[in-house]
Amino acid sequence: MSRFLVNRLASLASHNGELKMKNRRLILAVLFVLVAALAATPALAQDDLMGDFTVSHYFGGFGGEFIDGIVDDFIAANPGLTHAASPVDHEQFKTSILVQLAGGNPPDAFSYWAGARIQFIVDDGFLMPIDDIWEANDMDSQFPQAVIDTAATYDMHKYAVPLTLHWVGMFYNTALFEEHGVMAPTNWDELIHAAETFKMAGIPAFALGSINRWPGQFWFDMILLRTAGNDYRNKLMSGEASYTDDEVVRAFSLWNDLVQANHFYPDANAYDWDEAANMVANGEAAMTLMGTWIGGHFAGNEMVAGEDFDYFSFPTIDEDTPRASLGPIDTFVVSADAANSDAAKAFLNYLTNPDVQWDFAEGAGNLAPSLLVDTSNYNDVVARIAAEIANDPVFAFNYDLATPPPVAEVGLNSFSEFMANPGDFMAMLERVQADAAAEFAGME
Amino acid sequence: MLRRHPWLVPASFLALPLLVYGAFVILPTLNSLYYSFTDWVGYGADISFIGTANFEKIFTDRLFSNAIKNTAIWLLLAMTAPTLLGLSLALALQGKRRINTLYKSLFYLPICLSPIIIGIIWVWLYSPKLGIVNIFLRGIGLDQLATAWLANPNTALYAVFVAWAWQQTGLNMVIFLAGLTSVPTPLVEAAKVDGANYWQTLLKVIIPMLRPATVVVLALTAISALKSFEIIWVMTMGGPFNRSDTLAVFMYSESFRKFKMGYGSSAAVILFLMTLVIIVLYFRFAAAAEELYE
Repeated sequence: MSRFLVNRLASLASHNGELKMKNRRLILAVLFVLVAALAATPALAQDDLMGDFTVSHYFGGFGGEFIDGIVDDFIAANPGLTHAASPVDHEQFKTSILVQLAGGNPPDAFSYWAGARIQFIVDDGFLMPIDDIWEANDMDSQFPQAVIDTAATYDMHKYAVPLTLHWVGMFYNTALFEEHGVMAPTNWDELIHAAETFKMAGIPAFALGSINRWPGQFWFDMILLRTAGNDYRNKLMSGEASYTDDEVVRAFSLWNDLVQANHFYPDANAYDWDEAANMVANGEAAMTLMGTWIGGHFAGNEMVAGEDFDYFSFPTIDEDTPRASLGPIDTFVVSADAANSDAAKAFLNYLTNPDVQWDFAEGAGNLAPSLLVDTSNYNDVVARIAAEIANDPVFAFNYDLATPPPVAEVGLNSFSEFMANPGDFMAMLERVQADAAAEFAGME
Repeated sequence: MLRRHPWLVPASFLALPLLVYGAFVILPTLNSLYYSFTDWVGYGADISFIGTANFEKIFTDRLFSNAIKNTAIWLLLAMTAPTLLGLSLALALQGKRRINTLYKSLFYLPICLSPIIIGIIWVWLYSPKLGIVNIFLRGIGLDQLATAWLANPNTALYAVFVAWAWQQTGLNMVIFLAGLTSVPTPLVEAAKVDGANYWQTLLKVIIPMLRPATVVVLALTAISALKSFEIIWVMTMGGPFNRSDTLAVFMYSESFRKFKMGYGSSAAVILFLMTLVIIVLYFRFAAAAEELYE
């Protein structure tokens, strides 16, 4: 389905005088189908792409193999290109890509986390706007507006093509819920009631594995979004609000109520997120607040979505606070100093192909950000989550992607500290505010 | 030519190692010193000289004080526990019995492992539910002592230290064993003839004769303790909430997680100065010990 093939067929059609009319019609019909297909999906091949093309990414496991495969397909379809794809360890990537960007030898295209991290390098002028391919390929019609606004647009320009979309919700063991007659809670009181029911049965309601700190942020994020709302949260993330504000204190108070009532599995800081997921799978805890990647983990334990595990959206706390979805979005971006920006942009455009987006989503367990992906492919749980995201007016990034990295370090530590010493959170918040203010001041 | 310039021979042998040492040790050290006086974030050309601002700030930084406190605890423990254990093992295993050779090998084995491997092994041992430490404690009826060793803010630093000491003790044992071979047998036998019991012989004869070995053990242990990073990073990453942060972990976190390379470099300079003091003390004590026994 490459342009090379189209050109070849056109050449045959125009130069072979011995072709019969029937064959010509057939070729024209094939040409029509190919051109229509090319118009509908981004081109894999582009004749004018030449030279070296480098891609760097932080995906491991399935994601890593998939991206490497996609790059291989792209290079194979563009014989004028040679390439080097360089996967880097997820944590290592955070530093190494900055060094490459600053050193003036960046990859042409690379994966990056949407939100504050992209803004961080846009501010330093390390990224190339992709407004041209965005408009030329009508990407506005391919992604939800909330995703375009939060993940792709920075300083009024388009910089990133979304590839994955994960969503944070409460994933639970359906058998336990059925056994104890608990329905999926829709508000805070129902959540407390569910937790009390499980406590009476000797089962901690919530499993949290925050040994690597980040899983704790989802509790703070969701409670704050359901009480103070996204506008206030944005102020907090950008340093315009204080961690000692009533809004933050209330969020910690509500979280504290659950911790002090022993609704969490003990020693949260001793376990990783997948161990917490296993606690839910094994019936040692009833539910866990986690991203949609947990679906892949449960599937690996032979749990069927909608049967063995299910989810509910984090319950409403204040009725008048607008709903908001939460999660990370992985994107691909083009370096400002890209040696081969044409190839990089063509590659980004190729990533919007609905087949690519679906294949990645299916393998990695995330949602495809593209609206062109056939949602009937999703399992029941993911399909309902997709509908939740579509209904929520806001898509917010989790804490460590919403606030600058130095401040995120302060906050992530505080969530771990809170899980260990929940009662003393006021003194902790004063320290967090002092440290966060110092970090924001240092960035000016 | 060589007769007129005899220094050319050693110089030619030294040139390459000096060049490598300069490029990979001296230059980065000077670079680090330079960065400590800047606000560099670790990438980009945006760098400003800010004088001693980083050093002024670091001494009021709560996390730096915490790291200094933890480093002091770590150093104090490192100078005592693995040193005494290493000495005890060396005293117990000196002699030529065949079983001793086996024990020596077993105790030395951890030295052959990377700190990363040691860390991973001990993370498993400390696992709250399945770790052998808690299983053992529960097995002997001490359930109340079973805890999440690496997640408990009161035990995390000490739990990591035990893992580190497990490796360090083997090295200390070997150095003390080498030192024991230089203790003159007639001296020990003379003490026995004079009526000294085992403890008197140990305290009055053997340990004083082990002074050169002790100086080496203490200096190596102190330097190793100050630069401890890998095992802490693997086991707790300085957590929970900075409770097992040492100076090396603080330096890494500030430089590479918060992207404050200038600030992190100021911590590196302080760590370097602390290590330098120990090295100078080591050479002075080592020289004094040599003079004593010459």
